[in-house]
Amino acid sequence: MRNHEASHGRDLGGLNAWGLSVAGLALLAGLLGLPVTGWAEEAAGASAQVSYRDFPQLGGSRNIIWVIAQIHLLLAGFVLGVPIFAWLCEIVGWKTGEKRYDKLAKEFTKLLTSSYATTALFGGILLFMLIGFYPKLMNYLTDIFFPSFVFYCVMFLLETATLYLYWYGWDAMQEGRAKVFHLFLGFLLNVFAFFIMVVPNSWATFQASPVVIAEGSSLARAWAATWNPTWWPVNIHRLIANVVLGGFICGAYAGVRYLSAKSAEEREHYDWMGYVGNFIGVFGMLPLPFAGYWLMREIYQYNQQMGITLMGGFLSWLFILQAMLIGVLFLGANYYFWMGITYRIPGAETKYKKPILAMLVILLLCLGVWMTPHSLVASLEEARKLGGTHHPLLGVFGVMSAKMTVANLMILVTFMSFIMYWRAGKEETATWAKLARAVMSGVLGVAAIVVIVLGVWGYFVPAIVRINYFSVAQVLIVLFVMLTITPLTALLLKSARTTTEMVWGRMPPRAGYALVLNAVMVILLMTLMGYARSSSRVHWHIYGVMRDSSEYAYSPALGYAAAFMSLNTFIFCMLVAFIFWVATMGDKAKAGHGAMSAMAGGSHELDERSGR
Amino acid sequence: MKVGTHLKPALLMVGLYLFLKFVMPLFTAPLPASLIMLYLMLTFSGIMIFMTLSGTSMESFLGPIFRFISGDGQDGTMKMARLAVLALFPLLVGWQTYTSTAPSTAPPAENRTVHPAPPGEFAAMSNPVPNTPENVMQGKGLYAAYCSPCHGLFDGKGPASRGFNPPPANFKDPTTIAMLQESYLFWRIKKGGVGLSVEGMPWKSAMPRWEFELKDEQIWKIILGEYDGAGQKPRTWE
Amino acid sequence: MSEVVLLQLIGLGVIGVGVLILLFIQSRFPRVIGFVMIVLGLFSLIALSIPQMASLPPAEEKFDVASIKTANDMAMIGQKIFFSKGQCALCHSIGPSESARCPDLKGIGAKLSREFIYESLTQPQAYIYLDYRHEGPPKDYPARMPHINKNPIGLSNNEILSVIAFLQQMSGEPITVSPSEITMPGQPAPVKTPAPASPKGKAKGKAKGKAVMKADAGLVAMAYGH
Repeated sequence: MRNHEASHGRDLGGLNAWGLSVAGLALLAGLLGLPVTGWAEEAAGASAQVSYRDFPQLGGSRNIIWVIAQIHLLLAGFVLGVPIFAWLCEIVGWKTGEKRYDKLAKEFTKLLTSSYATTALFGGILLFMLIGFYPKLMNYLTDIFFPSFVFYCVMFLLETATLYLYWYGWDAMQEGRAKVFHLFLGFLLNVFAFFIMVVPNSWATFQASPVVIAEGSSLARAWAATWNPTWWPVNIHRLIANVVLGGFICGAYAGVRYLSAKSAEEREHYDWMGYVGNFIGVFGMLPLPFAGYWLMREIYQYNQQMGITLMGGFLSWLFILQAMLIGVLFLGANYYFWMGITYRIPGAETKYKKPILAMLVILLLCLGVWMTPHSLVASLEEARKLGGTHHPLLGVFGVMSAKMTVANLMILVTFMSFIMYWRAGKEETATWAKLARAVMSGVLGVAAIVVIVLGVWGYFVPAIVRINYFSVAQVLIVLFVMLTITPLTALLLKSARTTTEMVWGRMPPRAGYALVLNAVMVILLMTLMGYARSSSRVHWHIYGVMRDSSEYAYSPALGYAAAFMSLNTFIFCMLVAFIFWVATMGDKAKAGHGAMSAMAGGSHELDERSGR
Repeated sequence: MKVGTHLKPALLMVGLYLFLKFVMPLFTAPLPASLIMLYLMLTFSGIMIFMTLSGTSMESFLGPIFRFISGDGQDGTMKMARLAVLALFPLLVGWQTYTSTAPSTAPPAENRTVHPAPPGEFAAMSNPVPNTPENVMQGKGLYAAYCSPCHGLFDGKGPASRGFNPPPANFKDPTTIAMLQESYLFWRIKKGGVGLSVEGMPWKSAMPRWEFELKDEQIWKIILGEYDGAGQKPRTWE
Repeated sequence: MSEVVLLQLIGLGVIGVGVLILLFIQSRFPRVIGFVMIVLGLFSLIALSIPQMASLPPAEEKFDVASIKTANDMAMIGQKIFFSKGQCALCHSIGPSESARCPDLKGIGAKLSREFIYESLTQPQAYIYLDYRHEGPPKDYPARMPHINKNPIGLSNNEILSVIAFLQQMSGEPITVSPSEITMPGQPAPVKTPAPASPKGKAKGKAKGKAVMKADAGLVAMAYGH
């Protein structure tokens, strides 16, 4: 441990971080390998083995695992989300020839190197804890999953090697075919990162939705357990969520730097960076509800009991909190877009006031519906007047049909916010501009109406029709809107005349805080859903297979859980801030403002290009 | 400074409160305080977002409020008003502390889960009784004998329903049996109120435990009759 | 002081610290921390403001060999095993089911002899090739009947007998497993060679696999969920 601290103290920009993470990996591999061979032998015979160990002095084994696992997962999400984010930025920079995108990608890859080590460190701690606290469960899982442990370690080594090349080769591989190769390295990095994500997902999803394991080679058994009903839904959901996390954390980083920026160049650069982060976060967020819906559907189909625990039973209030957090996130993202219009485009304030108000009202109405619970919190007196905890009129807002509808509408509004921002300050000169505008508003209007009609109709058809056809149709309509309007707008703006140039660096401080708020909301959401995933298994380690017989088999109440979610979010934010601080310490000393002005340079055509 | 910048939002908040609190109950059941609070909070955040979108609107909205509280260049009545408002804050906190800690005879607000998860044994069953007109008729007959005293004509308003809190379920409501699988109903009828898990508050439900009176097959028939009579379809997966 | 009040006080305290930072500190980074503290504190307070409810696990039932008096006792225990440790319900249903991946076991106790069920559990490939994939429409997550007496399920002999008792009872058959067959801890297993397995009705000599009972030390008190 002392070695780790010491190497943190020194310059982390370079090899030490790498040495550390490789050491962490070796440790991990060793840890996995050694006890496993021992377990495999004794698994058959030993019945008097220890099932649990506890550490009550520190709040009990469950709380320790909770904090460590959550922080490890958040760091992992960040570490896997940033390469996607960085790689996309690098491609944009390469395609458009704008150096600032390349610089941005490089800046974040540098953060990656230091956060990678911390993630591995927490992974190691988590593994120690799990082996210590839950020997019986870990024994069982190891017995099934050992081949994928090995695969995981190999992937980790490949990922590490690729990251070395990607980061240290950045400047060497700038031109021509070398750059293409570098982009390919970035692609490889993401492929390995994807496997590093999906393999542990299989362990976690097996716990939630186990399949029966028959005789066979250990590889066949591991594969059978890996291919369980919720594996792919979770993979997709987490992949998208990681992009969102990466984007919003980039935004928050830019927000904090923007707040403390001293020079005009710095302000310009970080304003722009905040915009890019928010943009990527929002675009990742738009398909996320669909992925979540798919996951929920698979859970229901796998086991009705678990589905009801989540959506209608013990955890139903958790989804109201989730709606609140998502609502704040949507509002925050839109708020940032709208502020961008009023501040960055001089003279736009009065012109866009009315549409903004309309969008805000729709968002709030949708949020009101989304947050209306099915079972209301009511005092005895109120419940008596209501006749139960179902409101006769507002109760209908409490079910999936309504929630799906408003979620889709909120996505549509957010998308429109972005399109409005994109088109602001420009005048379309194409001859068919009028027609295109009419088509766009027509598509949007029809889509919104159809989504609402399907939502209302959903109450009058059998549940399966609603789930299989109506909800899917709603999702497809929203996707269709995005896929038609985006290219149409891009085409329209190609020939457009810029009437008012965007001015960077004029956003007020509260824009920086809005970016921080969005990042906090995303992190809180991830911790909340971590609790949901864990609690949906109720008193099972492996659902329906291995019961949790420890004293921590109960699921804590939401308030208690929220305190832990907040704690985890705070620790994670502080860790990330620390990593960022350490990683950028060298820059200031080395380059001063020289590097900064190079980054901030470039044209203002970003807004035209980034939408593609 | 225009009066409208503050008057409109204030009117909106007050108007919404009055509407939710007093106008809504004229048409439907009254709203619980928690829900009214939620809608007011949403409106308030909407106002704050809209008013702080640009520098000018923020200045015209928040500027006067800040100046009023900080007391810059005030005299006479304004000064007195400011002191009064500032004196109100501790009083407000005191009142809040009092109301939240004072002992009261009212039971705490509760949060009953209406549809808790069924035990595993019941999760994956399907109706073994074929859905034939004859079976449906028999089911309706059984329903009339055993269920209708409380659940009435599928609307939860049977002659005996008035005595119960929570009231018997209304099967015509699209948020009750239409959202559930038949196996769920089987569990609820067979095991009754006492069979609910803790979050369903088994002590609150008066549903009898029908497994002592009815055979499994009869329960399945009742389920067929119930869906048919209420005009609903059970949730299915294929 | 109740836990909820304690947590509420902590939440209020965190918000208070955040507000103080915002009021009195001008340095930007601490201000952001203060802002984050306020947001997190508010979130916790909102979560604490709804009525709190923890979900308690159902009581664990002990399978105490000594408590088994009748065959019905065994069937009751067998039912618990069927839905938990035995993992039978992961695939099989009792009565037609929409989500089942394997054959419906309704009435199975009447269709098959006790010995045949025992063999199917311990040597699933001995008589029929129980690969459900080859029948009917393809399933999303095909399953193959595992050896119930081996890892990872690893039911003991006592437990398998209880499951058979449950299957017979559930099919309305007389239970042919008797409590005397339960192995008491410390005792040797009753030496009783089971008859060659054969399904009722089609007792052809195809069933060559012998249902070998594994002498089991007997677990004194195994815990089952329900």
